[in-house]
Amino acid sequence: MIPHPFRRLQETGVLGMNTRNAEIIMAKNPRSRFPLVDNKVVTKELAALQGIPTPEMYGVIMKHGDVKRLDSIIRDRDSFVVKPARGSGGSGIVLVKERNETDLITESGRTITITGLRYHVADILSGVFSLEGHDDQAIIEALIHPDDIFTPVTYRGVPDIRVVVYRGVPIMAMVRLPTAASDGKANLHGGAIGAGIDLARGLTITAVHRSSIVTHHPDTGNPVSGINVPHWEEMLLMAARSLEMTGLGYIGADMVIDRDRGPLLLELNARPGLAIQMANRAGLLKRIRQVDKAPEDTFATPEKRVEWARKNL
Amino acid sequence: MKRPALAAALALMAISLIIVAYRIVSLGYPVTPARPDHVWTFRFDGVLQGTGKDPLFLLSLPSQQHGQIILEEFIGSGSMNFNLLKEYDNRIGVWSGKPPKDGEYISYRATILFQHRGAEGTVVPPRRSYPYGIADEQIALVEELTGQWRVMPLSTRIQVVLGFARVGAAGSGNDPNLTRLDKALEGYDDITRLLILLAAVSVPARTVEGMALAEGVTDTTFPWVEAWTGQGWEHIDPESMEVVPSDKRFLPLSAGGMSAVRTSGGRLSMKRFELTRDIMGRWRIFFEKVTRSDRFLDVWSLFRVPPEFQQTFRILLLVPLGALLIALLRNMVGFQTFGIFMPVLMALAFRSTGLGYGLAIFAAIIAIGYAARRYLNRMRLLLIPRMSVLVSLVISCFIILALVGNRFGVRQFMAVGLLPFVILTMTIERFYVVVEEHGMRTALQTAAGSAAVSVITYLIIQWEVLQITFFVYPELLLFVMGLQILVGRYTGYRLSELVRFRSFGSTDR
Repeated sequence: MIPHPFRRLQETGVLGMNTRNAEIIMAKNPRSRFPLVDNKVVTKELAALQGIPTPEMYGVIMKHGDVKRLDSIIRDRDSFVVKPARGSGGSGIVLVKERNETDLITESGRTITITGLRYHVADILSGVFSLEGHDDQAIIEALIHPDDIFTPVTYRGVPDIRVVVYRGVPIMAMVRLPTAASDGKANLHGGAIGAGIDLARGLTITAVHRSSIVTHHPDTGNPVSGINVPHWEEMLLMAARSLEMTGLGYIGADMVIDRDRGPLLLELNARPGLAIQMANRAGLLKRIRQVDKAPEDTFATPEKRVEWARKNL
Repeated sequence: MKRPALAAALALMAISLIIVAYRIVSLGYPVTPARPDHVWTFRFDGVLQGTGKDPLFLLSLPSQQHGQIILEEFIGSGSMNFNLLKEYDNRIGVWSGKPPKDGEYISYRATILFQHRGAEGTVVPPRRSYPYGIADEQIALVEELTGQWRVMPLSTRIQVVLGFARVGAAGSGNDPNLTRLDKALEGYDDITRLLILLAAVSVPARTVEGMALAEGVTDTTFPWVEAWTGQGWEHIDPESMEVVPSDKRFLPLSAGGMSAVRTSGGRLSMKRFELTRDIMGRWRIFFEKVTRSDRFLDVWSLFRVPPEFQQTFRILLLVPLGALLIALLRNMVGFQTFGIFMPVLMALAFRSTGLGYGLAIFAAIIAIGYAARRYLNRMRLLLIPRMSVLVSLVISCFIILALVGNRFGVRQFMAVGLLPFVILTMTIERFYVVVEEHGMRTALQTAAGSAAVSVITYLIIQWEVLQITFFVYPELLLFVMGLQILVGRYTGYRLSELVRFRSFGSTDR
């Protein structure tokens, strides 16, 4: 039945774009729940209800009249992040790491005046960074200080951990490591590398860089495999709770590990990409089928789901 | 999960095919409507002069008969009146009235389709009859001399008579009877001789006046004899006195001894007959029929739409096919394109500019637009005003192109038209977003994918055979819908994923 060239993919259980869209996303993610993950303010609120930690929020600016509140929100803070609630691909994010008398200094060393930042917030509200042109909100939250564990394999920026969750079961994970090519962003399209993480042990395996397998970080030259991810059990639990949070059956949970606060949920994605399969050299579809075969009551609580996943996947 | 979609797809395809089959089987629609057929155009031109009295001019017109279909007719009568008469098997055009002093130009034109005749519908043999004005004793004499032939079977009788007509008595060793017969028929012309002989042996026959079916111009028609052979009227060649198959070889104008052209009270100062052979698509031939039919599907046919709108529908009907192709290329092959309809709209735009110029113009404007969009980004304009700026830019490009095209005589530059400015603007924006999110490489790949798909779509919508087929059978759209549903339910791998996930090929798991 299946044309021969596809057989190997089939046998490995690789999830293709069509199957992901038609059988997984359309079947498991009701359209009505997308707004829960599209707006980061809503995601933060939902996470709080489930006791999932997120970066500390200093304030939200909802409308143009409120832009003057920016000063009071950031008055006592030396470092913070300004980002659009609906932004995608990291556009519109300003990371402020320190300040002097008049100006703010960003992560990349640029200086920006408070007035300039106020304009930036106004741009965010007008939807400049939201690609569909919707009105948006600006979030001001704590700057992440990444845990040192990934420092040897990170070129600037903050590495983040993506866990794909199917029906509340964490089925695959990777850590996205910024490179010079990705300009310090943890964005695989931009050239970041993705290192798969063994679910049971929390150890990094191979890595993928632009759809080819790499063993070392292209900029730092350090090996990407064999890194023991801290807080692993806790992160899997956070990811597993996204089902209770959103009711979405197929989710990509993006997390960071803060030096001081430990793992934090950054955002949820209702259409997680397929590249994670290459980072893990394993097929998502195979694991999805395994989850579907398991008896229903195995998955009653997030704890049970994580336990099952670590044992079986 | 897959069942309802499959059922819907199959149902749509079945309905489509049933309607097509119904049209072909019951309504006689052409199976291959785009195939060309040969048709003949018959033309008569003449100048009629009055000679004191009001003249009357009668022309025998080709008629709808077995194996011969009149597709269209045009009559030019100037200031004269025109009437159509039916006389036995003949259709006669009658021009009457007062021509101007220097004569009136009159004309007739018909497009005629000749088909294989097969067996004639009428099986009742017409009665035999002698030509007008033959004396009774003459008839008695001829019948007496040919008595030996009358007992022969029909086809033999014709052959014997023709043999005699060809060589006379000399051919049969100067049989005294035949020598007398020869003598009895002396003084008649070949055609009358033949008619008398055929009547004497009880073979129905008639004279027909017309033209040989060959391209050319002539000022006269010629008569021939047709004999009834039991199956139909057969043509007898007046030169060789042989029965020749008349299928698609002659154009009869008048039958039964009537002259094809008659005038009274006037004269023709010029007359010419012209026959030309043309190629006409079957659908055109068919279209002529449909516009005159009152059957339900014919009345509700797109052929009834005024011709100036038909062209639009010919193109529109193929757009879903382009969409199907895009679905196929994106979901099964893994082409990346900007949006779903952009390639279709591009293909439509290529219709006015042509492929090469169209692609070049698109590429150039997108490059310019992209540069502008990068600059605009620094200004941080909001979406709608930003798009308005891009629209202005695109239209400025069009105007400059048109002016340059006009100056240097490149028509294609001026043909950019109304349609593509929306897609160009959207494409610039999409291109920019893809560059930002996925890098220039992906953006260029996507642009190449869009261009390739639009070229293929263009070739499809410009393919006349397909245009005509869908126009004649618009229900094929349902079939396309069925295919679209099937593609929508394809959840297998894309071909491009073989490349994307090629690293799995090396693992032995």
